[in-house]
Amino acid sequence: MKLMTVAVLAAFAGGSVAAFAADHTISQKGRVFSETELTVKKGENIVFVNDDNIAHNIMSTTAGNEFNLGSQAPGASSSVALSKAGEVAVVCAIHPRMKMTVTVSD
Amino acid sequence: MRSITCRILSVATAAGVTALTAAIATRGYAQTTGTVPAVQPAGIEQLKAQYRRPDTIPFPKSNPYTLEKAALGKKLYFDTRLSAANLLSCASCHSPAYGWGDGQAKGVGHNMKQLGRRSPTIVNAAFGEIFMWDGRAGSLEEQALGPIRADVEMNMPIEQLMEKLKAIPEYAPLFKAVFPKEGMTPETIAKSIATYERTVVSGRAPFDAWIEGDESAISESAKRGFALYNGKGGCMNCHSGWNFTDDSFHDIGLSDADIGRGKQLPNVEKMHHAFKTPNLREIGRRGPYMHDGSVATLEAVMEHYINGGIDRPSRSALMKPLDLSKQELADLVALLKTFDSDIDPTTVPVLPR
Repeated sequence: MKLMTVAVLAAFAGGSVAAFAADHTISQKGRVFSETELTVKKGENIVFVNDDNIAHNIMSTTAGNEFNLGSQAPGASSSVALSKAGEVAVVCAIHPRMKMTVTVSD
Repeated sequence: MRSITCRILSVATAAGVTALTAAIATRGYAQTTGTVPAVQPAGIEQLKAQYRRPDTIPFPKSNPYTLEKAALGKKLYFDTRLSAANLLSCASCHSPAYGWGDGQAKGVGHNMKQLGRRSPTIVNAAFGEIFMWDGRAGSLEEQALGPIRADVEMNMPIEQLMEKLKAIPEYAPLFKAVFPKEGMTPETIAKSIATYERTVVSGRAPFDAWIEGDESAISESAKRGFALYNGKGGCMNCHSGWNFTDDSFHDIGLSDADIGRGKQLPNVEKMHHAFKTPNLREIGRRGPYMHDGSVATLEAVMEHYINGGIDRPSRSALMKPLDLSKQELADLVALLKTFDSDIDPTTVPVLPR
């Protein structure tokens, strides 16, 4: 489990999130991830911002990089860092049309 | 995804399929002049545009549409010999007579044993993202063989199925014509059935006529229902778009012990008791309702949403008691009934011998 921190923020400033050292920020507005493909380095923080009007639940079942950020209310942000190199399928457990591939490099 | 033009969208017959062409149609949105109470006139056009039915049926590149493949799939779909007892076909539980379900609270399988969940409709499966009530199949091709193999359903091990179909002389040439390289295999059986299923699309309903500008197509009550559906009823949070589903998983607070999607994702709290949002096309023909068939009427479905269901950690954040009057409940039901099309009868194919 690579779950880092889950925090509820009172407000967003231009979509950026100050609570995390965000190497990458993903928006979820309109029930879509702002990126369908993302390349990161091992250990970098990916911040998922719920700037949508309903709850989401970001997770992955990709072996070696499994994580579950739990139910994320509108206005909340959650961060994850992935530790194993390779392609990681990330989805919203509630809304499976929301999906993206994160490529983790060494 | 590849699409084929579908003007009729009720293509269960060979004649209907012939009407499809390989072109992708485009057209502008019709202009409407009416307004619906509680929705700003300026916003109604945008809102209605979200519910405009598509002109095309999507088919995956890995299993493109052909008329012959759909026709073979139809034969397989209606063939009771795909079950061990020669009594059940796909159509037994997903019958055109009942909006492509079976009209039962729960499905009935091998030896007339009751199954755990209601038989879901296959209407508009072509547009689905994920399949089965609990999402355990990622494609129609993946799903198609599941009920055939399941010992509680059609109880037919694949090896046995292949032997049985090979012993029916008229099947082999049909497979050879559609799949010249592979012939009859479990994969080509699944591809054929999936292709046929994708042609089963709900017909044009009064709701569609209204969306396209015919103000007389639905009642004033149904128009008020549309405002509620997209307003304080919150129905569109899950039953969104022209097919009225988000293809997502929600615990709506029903009382049965089935944990649904939670079996696939046990560590995700919100997936416990969560089931895939069913579409609402032909909904008047598809009762009883819910994954467990526990609710008999559309009025009772509305009562469930007004009450909000069981409050538990897994319950969707979107579920909460609603303040809806009896008139508003009736308006929502009136809207739902406009989703039923004037559906054509489906012909049963002559089967290979």
